[in-house]
Amino acid sequence: MILAADPLFKNGVDGEVVLIVIGKTLVVFALLLVLVLLYIWFMRKVIADMQNRIGPATAGPFGVLQTLADGIKLFFKEQSIPDQADSFVFKLAPYLSALPAFLAFAIVPIGGEVSIAGHQTYLQLADPEIGVLLLLAMSGIGLYGVMLAGWSSGSKYPLLGSVRASAQLISYEAAFSLAIVGVLLWSGTLSTRGIVNGQAWTGWDSFATQWYWAPASIAFVIFIIAAIAETNHPPFDLVEAEQELVGGFHTEYTGIRFGIFFLAEFMNLITMSAIAVTLFLGGPSGPSLGFLPASGTVNAWIMPCFWFFLKLVILLYGTVWIRASLPRLRYDQLMDLGWKWLIELAFLWAMVTGIIIIAKQQDWDLLLVVPAAALGALAVLGFLRLCMPKPGEFMDEVY
Amino acid sequence: MAQYLPILTMIVLVVIFVAASFLASKLLTSKRPTKAKTAPYECGIVSEQEPTERFPVRFYLVALTFIVLDVEIIFLYPFTTVFRELGGYGLGLMGIFLLVLIVPFAYLLSVGALDWGPVRQVTGRVLGPILRTTTVPSGIPAAAEPDESEDEAA
Repeated sequence: MILAADPLFKNGVDGEVVLIVIGKTLVVFALLLVLVLLYIWFMRKVIADMQNRIGPATAGPFGVLQTLADGIKLFFKEQSIPDQADSFVFKLAPYLSALPAFLAFAIVPIGGEVSIAGHQTYLQLADPEIGVLLLLAMSGIGLYGVMLAGWSSGSKYPLLGSVRASAQLISYEAAFSLAIVGVLLWSGTLSTRGIVNGQAWTGWDSFATQWYWAPASIAFVIFIIAAIAETNHPPFDLVEAEQELVGGFHTEYTGIRFGIFFLAEFMNLITMSAIAVTLFLGGPSGPSLGFLPASGTVNAWIMPCFWFFLKLVILLYGTVWIRASLPRLRYDQLMDLGWKWLIELAFLWAMVTGIIIIAKQQDWDLLLVVPAAALGALAVLGFLRLCMPKPGEFMDEVY
Repeated sequence: MAQYLPILTMIVLVVIFVAASFLASKLLTSKRPTKAKTAPYECGIVSEQEPTERFPVRFYLVALTFIVLDVEIIFLYPFTTVFRELGGYGLGLMGIFLLVLIVPFAYLLSVGALDWGPVRQVTGRVLGPILRTTTVPSGIPAAAEPDESEDEAA
């Protein structure tokens, strides 16, 4: 078993280590802000292209500074608090939204192991042993930000938007966590560094044999769907369905308070994509340049980061594509998809994966075990489908 | 615990960042609240009800249902790190545990706790008597649609 922990702390914590930690924190913080600025511009530009428009073109080259201009504008807008609002909670909610958005990215491995001022360290902010559990905890806290923002506004639409949001978030949280189990079974560790090490690049076929997207393919699809729903992005943006709810939970927020929610929302999407890269696509794993020394600057620093960001950009482009293509789901469709399909599928997939791993390890007859496990899973799925009321059919007053 | 030091520094940095943004915005803007501006927003209509009204209990039930699954997930995560050592024995135990959890989940599905479509009454179903406790008692003809004329009269 790989005991993963950042080697930075193996000789205790002294002043130099603290300085390195602060430096890494600042870099990750700035990186996230820049990524959000670029992603919003990228999204608007790509959607504009898909709709035969030009998109932002005035601020900076190709309009790349448009998001920055929008952000600066928000600083100059009045921050109004509704007279019915619970003032303290109303002001607290943006913090609860922003904190988990920044913290969840801390566990994402951006690059390999490098040496800074004589200290070996990983190119990732933190590598706690609980790893992925921290991500789940953070998405749980993010829910409080949404819920308290809507509740404390003292207004009708934010309240409706926030109860809707919390029901949606916890529904997809279940599918999301179960999809991650599909990877954890293969990796055998919760630490993100351990998961990435399990997908190390060993040859040109590694992308299919080492990375977990292939053995956890269904889990990968479920993860992507659930992650988009978790972060309230189209086609699952029912939280702020503007035709029904005006703006959802942040209707009453103005100025920079709204800006923080907006920032957190897009940051969550970037973090989820980065987590998908980590869990399924090998994180920073990729071929290094053979003609340069393996521990040189290029191969230790630049190439892993290059592969990580390349995969991240591809996934982010996918989210923009989905946003531009798919119409928003209806609320009952959303809940049906989450509770009646994704949770069952992710759960059974994890079970079958576990059985196959144990069967390989114990030298059971795979030809017998795999079909039996698949049939068992199908039987459970069929039983659950039979239990469900048919569309339109419903109980008398149960609730 | 040193592994959590970067997370602590990040918490401090983010709190400072958000607080500084709010402070900067406060210094840069002027506050001119009017009655219309601070009223609850309802698309321009003056609101007549108390804003914090009640909402369907169904949302709360979804949260309770989630606890069933959350227990399962909480046990699955540590299981994934040790199940190779446990082998077939651990797999069997986990299978029993999950079967026990599937039963309440199937019950919730069958009573429609997770249905959000329009409410109608059930007349008869194959699996109804197995998992449902709240079926329409036999002998009383179940109404296919809620009686609307009575509502209007009332």
